[in-house]
Amino acid sequence: MSKHSDNKKFSYNMEISDKDIYEAMKDIPGYLDITTGDFKELYRLTYRHALKRIEESIKASDIMTGEVVSVNRETPLKEVAKLMAEQGVSGVPVIEDDRRVAGVISEKDFLSRMGAGNTKTFMGVVSKCLKGKGCVALSIRAKKAEDIMISPAITVSEETTLLDIINLLKERKINRVPVVDQEGCLIGIISREDIVEAPLSGGL
Amino acid sequence: MMLGEYFNKMKGTSKSPPAVSLSEIGWSWIGAFLGIAAVAYFNYNRLEDTDLVMIIGSFGASAVLIYGAIKSPLAQPRNLIGGHVFSAIIGVACYQLLNGQMWLASSVAVATAIAFMHATKTLHPPGGATALIAVIGSDKIHNLGYLYAFVPVGLGAVIMLVVALLVNNISRNRRYPEFWI
Repeated sequence: MSKHSDNKKFSYNMEISDKDIYEAMKDIPGYLDITTGDFKELYRLTYRHALKRIEESIKASDIMTGEVVSVNRETPLKEVAKLMAEQGVSGVPVIEDDRRVAGVISEKDFLSRMGAGNTKTFMGVVSKCLKGKGCVALSIRAKKAEDIMISPAITVSEETTLLDIINLLKERKINRVPVVDQEGCLIGIISREDIVEAPLSGGL
Repeated sequence: MMLGEYFNKMKGTSKSPPAVSLSEIGWSWIGAFLGIAAVAYFNYNRLEDTDLVMIIGSFGASAVLIYGAIKSPLAQPRNLIGGHVFSAIIGVACYQLLNGQMWLASSVAVATAIAFMHATKTLHPPGGATALIAVIGSDKIHNLGYLYAFVPVGLGAVIMLVVALLVNNISRNRRYPEFWI
């Protein structure tokens, strides 16, 4: 469920026809010296500006989840896995004692160390299992959060705009990003799901 | 650019805007009648025996815009006054500098008027005619010199603007101008 395809479907729904414009022009008394083509072009560009304005007006603090499930550097991976399973999250920030973000662990980081290799997918792990090499998770059983976390973490501030966050997630191919204050301490997290539910998608 | 693509552009992509209502046609007629009547009356009944004129051909074109297409950016006061006055000055200058080569004076006047109107956001199509008239007009026009930009051009445009303000705001469905500056 990517943000991109949502947007596409959305703008498709906003498509207007030449006939719509022609009828609207008839509703306005007086001569308009534009063609339907002019209006369509203007509408398309206006719509793009409006989207940009809205995406820029929404800040990280508006859409982030404030109560973040997090772990410490020393947390054993079996507990990290249990926590993620219980909380139903696909990734957690790893924080220092003073709540500064040290890194992020996601499902992919487990998968890549369980035989999924570069595919980092669940089916990669299944594939290795079916080859009969025993429990593929054993190799990381004794490790801690800091051993597999991605560090340093990519983070955003409360003031980062929705537009920048969307681009960041796309460019870095990540699914969530911790929100930190000026000292780098964890105050929230934004996942792709949070963006889908942002006012942009529902409000327009 | 590919040749096919070039000729393809000549086909057009859109269609003609809808026709206006009968009342719009009626108000356009009334506005144009009163606006042109005002400047023409001065011209023929008050300035007959003077060296001054009050009406020039380009006012007919302005009437189309300020009484017939009143929402158009081209028809707004800024464009009406600015377009006429700037173009008139450019036209007179071109005639005075280039009257030895009338073809050149004519073409430079109109082309420069358009460029200047664009640059000053005062594009008003009749301005092109105002610049051209300064070059190809009668001796009476030529003898006015730069006065041409004020009478008939500036004053005539102001009179037509006043009529537009009075007439275009009577109908419930009409409003003029869209903007001043």
